[in-house]
Amino acid sequence: MRHSFFLILTAFSALIVLFILLPIAVTISTQFYNPGFAQAMRDRAVWNSILLTYYAALLSTLTAIIFGTPLAYILSRYSFPGRSIVEGIADIPVVIPHTAAGISLLAVFGSNGLIGSFSPVKFVDALPGIVVAMLFVSVPIYLNAAREGFGSVDVRFEQVARTLGASQWRVFFTISLPLAARHIAAGALMAWARAISEFGAIVVIAYYPMVAPTLIYERYISTGLSAAGPVTAILILLSLVVFVAIRILLWGKNVSRSER
Amino acid sequence: MKRYILLLILLILAALLCGCVQNTGKTEQAGNAHVQSEKVVLKVFHAGSLTEPMKELTKIFEERYPGVEVQCEAAGSAKTIRKVTELHRNADVIASADYTLIPKMMYPEYANWTIMFAKNQMVLAYTNESKYASKINSNNWYQILRRPEVRFGFSNPNDDPCGYRSQMVLQLAELYYNDSKIYDDLVAKHSNLKFVEENGTYVLRMPNSENINPDTNKLMIRSMEMELISGLETGEIDYLFIYRSVAQQHHFRFIELPPQIDLSSNQYADFYKKVVVVQANGKKIAGKPVVYGITIPENSMHKDYAEKFVELVIGKEGQKIFKELGQPPLMPPRVDNADKLPESLKRFFS
Repeated sequence: MRHSFFLILTAFSALIVLFILLPIAVTISTQFYNPGFAQAMRDRAVWNSILLTYYAALLSTLTAIIFGTPLAYILSRYSFPGRSIVEGIADIPVVIPHTAAGISLLAVFGSNGLIGSFSPVKFVDALPGIVVAMLFVSVPIYLNAAREGFGSVDVRFEQVARTLGASQWRVFFTISLPLAARHIAAGALMAWARAISEFGAIVVIAYYPMVAPTLIYERYISTGLSAAGPVTAILILLSLVVFVAIRILLWGKNVSRSER
Repeated sequence: MKRYILLLILLILAALLCGCVQNTGKTEQAGNAHVQSEKVVLKVFHAGSLTEPMKELTKIFEERYPGVEVQCEAAGSAKTIRKVTELHRNADVIASADYTLIPKMMYPEYANWTIMFAKNQMVLAYTNESKYASKINSNNWYQILRRPEVRFGFSNPNDDPCGYRSQMVLQLAELYYNDSKIYDDLVAKHSNLKFVEENGTYVLRMPNSENINPDTNKLMIRSMEMELISGLETGEIDYLFIYRSVAQQHHFRFIELPPQIDLSSNQYADFYKKVVVVQANGKKIAGKPVVYGITIPENSMHKDYAEKFVELVIGKEGQKIFKELGQPPLMPPRVDNADKLPESLKRFFS
């Protein structure tokens, strides 16, 4: 019984890992024979676009942390009328097709949009436009992770601290936040990753400056797979390195979820 | 625990059930029409500017052949062709906004003939909200575009025929109006795009897309012409270089440009030739009248229905639809390699 349990566990796990790995492995391995790969590695435009993507995703994630953490805390601690509606709203970006999200953002942040018409910041075809598009699609991921994090903190710790005379601010910053920090960090990492991968919404509001996904698309339609492949491989490899590095930094090497 | 397993089983059952329902739906429909039980899927890959007429044609075709489901995929013309030549996807019909792309990219491996069936015309689209909408006309349009507060858009010349044609129109305007600063003032000053004169022709060598570097306060560039429509609708830009058909189908107001520069007339083909765009990938395109091309790729899975679809496109009904939607049909249509045509299509060219 025990034996068959692990066998099935392993078999299913292997299948899903292969499913993720295979397309990526094929993309990267074909680049070893592609002379375009070395060329792309030396191409300044490629690195600029990747840096821009990482930077914009970082700004979007920081914004999500600053404005999303309070909401996540409220949603995990307090019940109030309309809470499920707020929760539903927070999840909407996940179901909206990305192009539609881009169009909606354009309606708000465009030069004649609700906010864009009076904002001194220019969103269309500019960095702030990229950041709002990334934020829109990635904020639900952060909110859900952070809410789960606060949910996992024993409320009694907070209550004890309060009875000992700590202010609400102090309790939040010295108890709730540190105890939820791992969830929050994991959520922020996923939100950052999601932001990097965004294409559909960004390309509507900001074709320029070109983020890496737009550049890949651009290379693909103007020259073809041979030119898009190397950039894709570079982005995948670099993101893999960054991801593994951050995970090791944050959680050490072999910490399983239960030990955290 | 048991509850979750139950839930999972229910979900799987639901998924299976959905599959059954879909299947029965299909067989019923097909049964009613007395044709085979599996629907034939006819894949039509076409240029973005053909979206509206293709919708109409699909409706007619599916009514006529209830056993066939037509799946249209719109994209830039080059990308449309690349879906077949590079991604090796099966398509039954390919329709391009630039008929020359089919021989250039598909012959001889993926296709062997091209039928030219409709034409188009470059116009300057705008809305009532566009700046100087009440003042602009076919004579002063380039002066209006020159005003610093006016923004306009075109699609990326590297990706989209509509994009390089916009550049051609602006350069031809310099020659036609005898004003050598039109392209410089409108585009060159605000980007890395520039025409240079080489032995009587004017050549625009496109940088890579990431290096076009447009001043986004003046120009709005998107990969495909259809993506700029929302820009014009939301007032992001005041004017947009686009095909007449698209402007007409979206109910934009538009300025008709002189036929000498709007790439619509065979009569001025020699004049159009004076401008050349070299795309970043090295492809060289000389100005010529905008003519749509259609072909059936070699990897088509349903050549019989594909031929019927092409017949519909180039026949009377198709011609009527194209006329109504602002893409005047070629009467009669023309073909490059008549000997390579499928038998059923030869009658149109005898």
